Amino acid sequence: METIFVLLPLALLIAAIAVGLFVWAARSGQFDDLETPAVRILFDDDEPRASAAGSRTPPSDQRRLSQDSTRRVPR
Amino acid sequence: MNPRLPARRPTAAVACAHCGLPVPASLVREGDAEQFCCNGCRQVRTLVHEWGFDQYYRLVDRQQGQLGPARVTGRSFEDFDDGGRQAEATTTLGSDRRCTRLYLEGVHCAACVWLVERLPAVLPGVDEVRLNYGNAVADVTWRPGHTRLSVIARALDRLGYTPHIHRAAGVQEARRSEDRASLARLGVAAACAMNLMFLHGALYAGEYAGGMASPYYAFFRWLSFVVATPVLVFSARPFFQTAIAGLRAGMVHIDLPIAVALAVTFVASAANTVRGAGPIWFDSLAPMLVAALLGARQLQRGAQRAALERADSLRGAAFLEFARKFTGAGPDAPVVEVPLTGLVRGDRVEVRSGELVPVDGVVLAGRSSLDNAVLTGESAPVPVSAGDSVNAGATNLGARLVVRVEAAGDRTRVGALLALVQDALSRRPMLLQATDRLARRFVQVLLGLALVTGAAWTAIGPVAVAMEHVVALLVVACPCALGLSVPLAMSVTLLRAARAGIFIKNPDALDRLLRVETVLLDKTGTLTEGRSTVTRWVGDEGALQLARDLESESSHAVAKAFRSAFGQFPRVVRTVDDVVESPGQGIAGRLDVRRVRVGNRAHVEAGASAVPSAWLGAADAMVAEGLSPVFVAIDGHVEGVAGIGDAVRPEAARTVAALHARGIRVRILSGDHPAIVARVAAQLGLPQDAAVGGLTPEGKHDIVAGMTASPGRTGAVVMVGDGVNDAAALALADVGIAVQGGTGATIVAADVVLTRQGVAPLVDLMVSARRLRWVVRRNIGFSLAYNIVASAFAVGGMVGPLLGAVLMPASSLTVVLSSVMTGTFARPRSGAAAPSAEGGA
Repeated sequence: METIFVLLPLALLIAAIAVGLFVWAARSGQFDDLETPAVRILFDDDEPRASAAGSRTPPSDQRRLSQDSTRRVPR
Repeated sequence: MNPRLPARRPTAAVACAHCGLPVPASLVREGDAEQFCCNGCRQVRTLVHEWGFDQYYRLVDRQQGQLGPARVTGRSFEDFDDGGRQAEATTTLGSDRRCTRLYLEGVHCAACVWLVERLPAVLPGVDEVRLNYGNAVADVTWRPGHTRLSVIARALDRLGYTPHIHRAAGVQEARRSEDRASLARLGVAAACAMNLMFLHGALYAGEYAGGMASPYYAFFRWLSFVVATPVLVFSARPFFQTAIAGLRAGMVHIDLPIAVALAVTFVASAANTVRGAGPIWFDSLAPMLVAALLGARQLQRGAQRAALERADSLRGAAFLEFARKFTGAGPDAPVVEVPLTGLVRGDRVEVRSGELVPVDGVVLAGRSSLDNAVLTGESAPVPVSAGDSVNAGATNLGARLVVRVEAAGDRTRVGALLALVQDALSRRPMLLQATDRLARRFVQVLLGLALVTGAAWTAIGPVAVAMEHVVALLVVACPCALGLSVPLAMSVTLLRAARAGIFIKNPDALDRLLRVETVLLDKTGTLTEGRSTVTRWVGDEGALQLARDLESESSHAVAKAFRSAFGQFPRVVRTVDDVVESPGQGIAGRLDVRRVRVGNRAHVEAGASAVPSAWLGAADAMVAEGLSPVFVAIDGHVEGVAGIGDAVRPEAARTVAALHARGIRVRILSGDHPAIVARVAAQLGLPQDAAVGGLTPEGKHDIVAGMTASPGRTGAVVMVGDGVNDAAALALADVGIAVQGGTGATIVAADVVLTRQGVAPLVDLMVSARRLRWVVRRNIGFSLAYNIVASAFAVGGMVGPLLGAVLMPASSLTVVLSSVMTGTFARPRSGAAAPSAEGGA
């Protein structure tokens, strides 16, 4: 039963580390927004597409974006 | 007299491919795979498809969300590139990255979060976009070397989310770090509390089983001391700070008895730990702090922050931000969007149809009419042409105008009013909380009891025992449930109000609403719809529909009135040809095979014979009501007369009656013509002297000032309005309420911001304020009952740490349950703006 003299302080030390992490997380703003992450888990990963959705847009599109005019979208 | 019109079957409604609403027949393009109800929807759908984000629609379906028609402003957002404007909302991360906060309009479901956060995939130079679903503020991390903020803004706009630079970043940063710190304190206290209860469980078990062996006994006690120390040193600090600050100022705050209890508990228990004998109370100390105080205050802070942030966002979207400045001479020179600070006197700006006038100035070219309702309260549009002066904040209802800048930003009339508002706000006194009023009495009673207990027990037995009893008294008499009473009830009320669309920026308003003497109502936009609609119609229904279809070809103010009479219904005719608009007279055209003329008497008579006297009589009746009559003639015969005017809101009369029933004096303050104001007053059942018209914003402000300064006041003065001309008066009133559709200045000035239409929430507010006070009193009652019972036991020497540890959470739990069941701002079942049926007045 004497092990409790070692185990309890050890357990409390682990708890202290956890609390320290919590304090760090709270201070760095991890708990600022609790609503949006709940919504984000519903999103699926992007489906793979033939025209490389995850990469940069090709130069012609880049030009179009910065000029803000495309064929179909009127000014 | 009316010939029967053949029945018209509206074309089968086609659903818009973006938002799902029906597509008007005239916008159906034969041969197109997808149909759209408006240009905005078409643009957004096209872009979503172009960028490969079609999954968006699947997500919307899965969320069972409902999209509304997309709004794309088509602005160039060049003003966002201005360094000064960006600085308001941008933090610099490293040498080449910035993070800018933008408030987005049109975020209404989770799928929007997905879509917005996908932007980095298609915009080079954007590293990350994080959208906060709760307040629609996006943090955009981008590289200035690779892209510009205006490019990002345009992309967001074209997706249907018009961005605004999110201001007031400085104040929010301070609030935010404070909230984070208090959350950290709460976490530490909670963790320690749980461990302490667990440690003390071992100690109680030992007591119950007949004693614990000596080394273990000391071990648990010392561990308990160690774990309790951070609670006092770290988490409890604000209580000591507030208590001491209060003492220095000569005031007794409720934190004082709490701080005393905490200190006594800790010191006495520490002493007993070192001594090795005597009761220790560490397991009461931490839960005292945690479950009760920090938790409740955190909730309240969160609820208040949510309301303030929402008001901030609303205000940000409502203020004028930019102007289109001509970069060269001549009316066709290129136009660039600049922030308002970039304008000087003499610059020329363009004001497009439907937009706000950004500056005070003089019209150089163009002929149009302006809606000055937010500035002056006038409900009728004011025609302007070259040479007329215009004020910032007016809406351009008609054609494009070119305006020479005379004053911009702070120096406009609107800017001056805003300064008046800020001044009035700064002179507001703070109200004491209900529990603070109790605090002084409480401390006195407690100290008295402690002395009596100590003296009595010292007379009977040893001093050490007497001290123990005094400590026990001070511990169980800790008014932690008392400190919970107000924050909990308040935060539940604030959150429920927010859900009902009522954002309470200043909780003191709820206190003031308990006793209301006078309610001052603005007219245009508050009691009335604020825009011209077809208020009365005499004649054939079919003729009205034909008139509406013809008027949809025009952008005149009268045409808008006809359009708004029907909303989104599909058109009944297929073709509209030969449309001729005669300015100031009317419009004529051919709808399918019928010739339709809509306009004043002269215009209608020009197409056929004279207008019969029966119709003239109906028109005169409308003029007597203050409406403008517009005739509708089909194939040469008059089929109906429309009365165009600013309609009183349907629930306004009911609200006024409800206010009267509560014994509140109701008055109307308006900038509109006195005759019109008098008519509205009569319609609402108010005596003639209760309505004042023709008031300037300063006039309204002075009236409110007079009322608030009068010595014989029996209650609060409440001002309700929406326009800039109400803002100064709102700030000065005891309670200022901004109704839905209010301008930025009004939102800044108000204590309460409504986002539901109309004035019905007023009664809701007052009922809920009553209910809140009742709940607070109930909470205080419960917590005092516990304190009295516990103190009685303590004085009698019957309280040990176990009893204390049980009573403390019990009292707190009772107050929590009582607060959650407040019943304030009950959700109306029908979904309409009905006041909540509360009996607890």
